[in-house]
Order: sequence, then structure tokens, then C-alpha cells
Amino acid sequence: MRDGKPVVLVVEDSTLIRMSAVDLVQSAGYEALEACDADEAIRILESRGDIDLVFTDVQMPGTMDGIKLSHYIRDRWPPVKLIVASGAAILAESSLPGGSRFFAKPYDGTAITDAMARLLAEEV
Amino acid sequence: MPTAPTEHFETASTLAIVVSSNEPLLFLTEDQKIIAASASFCRAFEINPATVSGLPLGELGGGEWALPKLASLLTATAAGSAQIEAYELDLRRPGRATRRLVVNARTLDDGVVGPARLLLAVTDVTDARAAARLKDDLVRDKAILLQEVQHRVANSLQIIASVLMQSARRVQSEEARGHLHNAHHRVMSIAALQRQLASADGTMVELRTYFTQLAQSLGASMIADPARLSIKVTVDDSVVPADVSVSLGLIVTELAINALKHAFPAERDGMIAIDYRSAGKDWTLSVTDDGIGMPEGNAAPKAGLGTGIVEALTKNLASTIEVKDAAPGTVITIRHRETTDLETPDLETDVSSAV
Repeated sequence: MRDGKPVVLVVEDSTLIRMSAVDLVQSAGYEALEACDADEAIRILESRGDIDLVFTDVQMPGTMDGIKLSHYIRDRWPPVKLIVASGAAILAESSLPGGSRFFAKPYDGTAITDAMARLLAEEV
Repeated sequence: MPTAPTEHFETASTLAIVVSSNEPLLFLTEDQKIIAASASFCRAFEINPATVSGLPLGELGGGEWALPKLASLLTATAAGSAQIEAYELDLRRPGRATRRLVVNARTLDDGVVGPARLLLAVTDVTDARAAARLKDDLVRDKAILLQEVQHRVANSLQIIASVLMQSARRVQSEEARGHLHNAHHRVMSIAALQRQLASADGTMVELRTYFTQLAQSLGASMIADPARLSIKVTVDDSVVPADVSVSLGLIVTELAINALKHAFPAERDGMIAIDYRSAGKDWTLSVTDDGIGMPEGNAAPKAGLGTGIVEALTKNLASTIEVKDAAPGTVITIRHRETTDLETPDLETDVSSAV
């Protein structure tokens, strides 16, 4: 949280999709941060403690894909909520950390913001 | 014709059958000496046919057939305690690639009393196995490639959908926003199909699942109050080729968007029913709403892009479109008929009962 606004980190390697996702997050009234891969996402998470939710793509260049990243985040920063989106039509939600949400691409913006609102509402 | 110096002579016909066998074949005494080898065996394993008769199996060729496991299996077969069926072994010869063999052995039962004699059939499956492996590799490569393509398609659709939604959020004019939203729905309609094609193998699409996904996606983004408006999908077990399903899906998308936007003004309650059924090659798709009905004559709105899309796709599917007053509301029916003998007027009752 920052100034009462939930903070959402968008992790996506495609510039256009990332730009739109950031816009989507902002339009839902949240503060948006962006990273183009898992390594940058981790650097941002390490540098500030106010991130409430990470919205990540799966297929990304770099040392980790979105699934590995989501497990890493769950282990290191357990309170951070997770939403994962992938171009793979079938992805077992069981391969993701418990409580995280999965969406197949292309996702509907409304579905994502609804999921964000719901996850952020169950704040501890 | 090689004959064996055994105590009893084989009949000429038995030997002839062995020698002319198309499948590489050895005819052996109980103690594994060669009575006869088929010409195919000698050819396949580079054995001089003149040298084989009377030779112990282990001394055949350069001694490469001295395989302890094979010998013991043959002994057991001769004793009647076992039968070799599709036993696999590797034949190693110096300076040659190892060959994978499948051997079958049984005793010859020709009614002759005396020591058992063995028929040993040898098939070289090295090339067949390599071909099968290659085929497996190709199938796997193709699956990976297909998955990669599906990924890319999903990502590209995401880019288009994201940009349309972002533009819709930014644009000032309500009308422009509406057009951008519609464009977004069209993209999502194709995406729903893409997803279904990716999760099922093959190129046939099960319409019930597809239309249900479409309705859910349209409802999620266009219906603010699900208690007020709903979309009901009734589809039989029809399965259609992917290209047909694209057209049908887009028609459903356009008609449903149209009904959601125009049929229920001023917070009016209502339902949209999507119905598809087929009989043989004939099919009927209808989208019915119980809204305010279509204005007619001068009050009718100018045909937009949606109408153009529906007309073009209907024509493409060699079908006809009919717009009727459903009192209340409107029913739009798309029909495809290949059996020309009967028009089915009972359709209207079907549709209205679905409302």
C-alpha cells in the first residue's frame, strides 16, 4: 500500500501488453509498477516493501518464468498476492502457489481487475 | 539344396519350404546344428549358403550367433518347456553396426517321431525401429511447434485486445468507445475459439463449449447486473470444422452484442437465448431476445459494421438470415439447408420455447 492505494507489480516482457496492463491497473485505481522479466521483478520487490500484488506473464526470457517467479515470491514474500497469465491454454492451477489466480491469454481486462479486487480484499 | 547329415533325413519339401522362406529362417537340430537356412537368412546376415549345413549355430558366420541367452532359450524350446516369442537380441559383428533382431522359435511338428527339430525365425527390426523413433520424434516436434504457435497466437491476440481496451479507456467519445469495445469483443470471440482449439486436439470444434465460453465472456464484459440480464445457451452435440466455427462464433458475438446494446434500454430486464441445432448437414442458429423489439421503417437504425459482418458471414456459410418479431423482442434465425425438400416451419416454436 502506498498512500492508501494498493500497489500492483506488472511483470510482462511484451512492451505493448505491459503498457496496457499498467494502464488497466491504474484505471482500476491502483498504483502500478512494471518489470520486463523475473529478475527485474525481484529487484523491485527487494527494493520496496509496499507491493500488494504481482500480475505476471509465464513465458519470459531470463532466469525464471512466471511460474517459478510466483513460487519464489510466495516463499520470500508470502503476503504478496499473485495473478498469473499465460498463452498456454491449459495450465494446471496446481502448478501455481496456493491462492494464486490463473488466466489464459488473451485475458479480459474486467476479469483481471475483478480478480485483483477480490484478492486485495482478502487482505490479512 | 543343403541337407543335414543327421540320422533321419528331412523330406525334400520341408527343406524347400525352409530355403524359400521369405522371412529369414533357420531349421535346426535339437542340439542346434543347422539343417537348413533360408536364402533370405543368408542374404540378410551375409552367410554363404554353401557353408551352413551341419554347422553348429554358434559357429555360423564369424561366430556372432554364439549368443548364450539364445542358445539356452533354444534348448528350453527343444525340450518343450518354453517357446521363444518375439525375443529381442542384438547381433554384433566386427566392423558392422549392431542389428536389433526379433527372434521366434518353435519345434517343428510334422508328425515325424524322433529328436525335436527347431524353426528359428529371425527378423531384423533395426530399420523399422529407427523409422518408428524418427516418427515419434517428428510427432513430438510437431506437438511442440503447435504449442509454440498457439502461444504466439494467444500473445498476439492479447496485444490486440489490450491495445483496444486501453484505447477504449482513453477515448473521450462514447460512440468511439462503443466501437472499440465491439472490436475487443470480436477479438475475444476469436480468442475463445483459439483456446478451445488449443485444448482439444484436431480441428473440429464442439459448439456447446465454444458458445458457452463466448456467452460467458460477453456477459462478463457487457452485463453489469447479472440479475437483470442473462445469456442462455442451448446447443445440441454439434461438432463443426474450425473455419465454420469461426464464422458461427462471430455471428453469435455480433447478434448478442447487438441485443445487449439495443434491446434492453432503461434498465429493462431480459434474457438472450442462443440456440443451435443441426440435423444431418442442415443447421439452424438463432439468437432471441425478449427486449423492446426492432424499430421498423424510418425508425430503424442504420446498418452498422456488425450487420455487415453478420450478412457477409451468413452468405459465406451458404445460409439465410431472417429477422422476426418474437413479441416481445426479436428473433434472428440463420438457416443452412442442404436437404431442399422440406422447409421446417416448426423452428419458430422451438426458439420461442427457449425464451
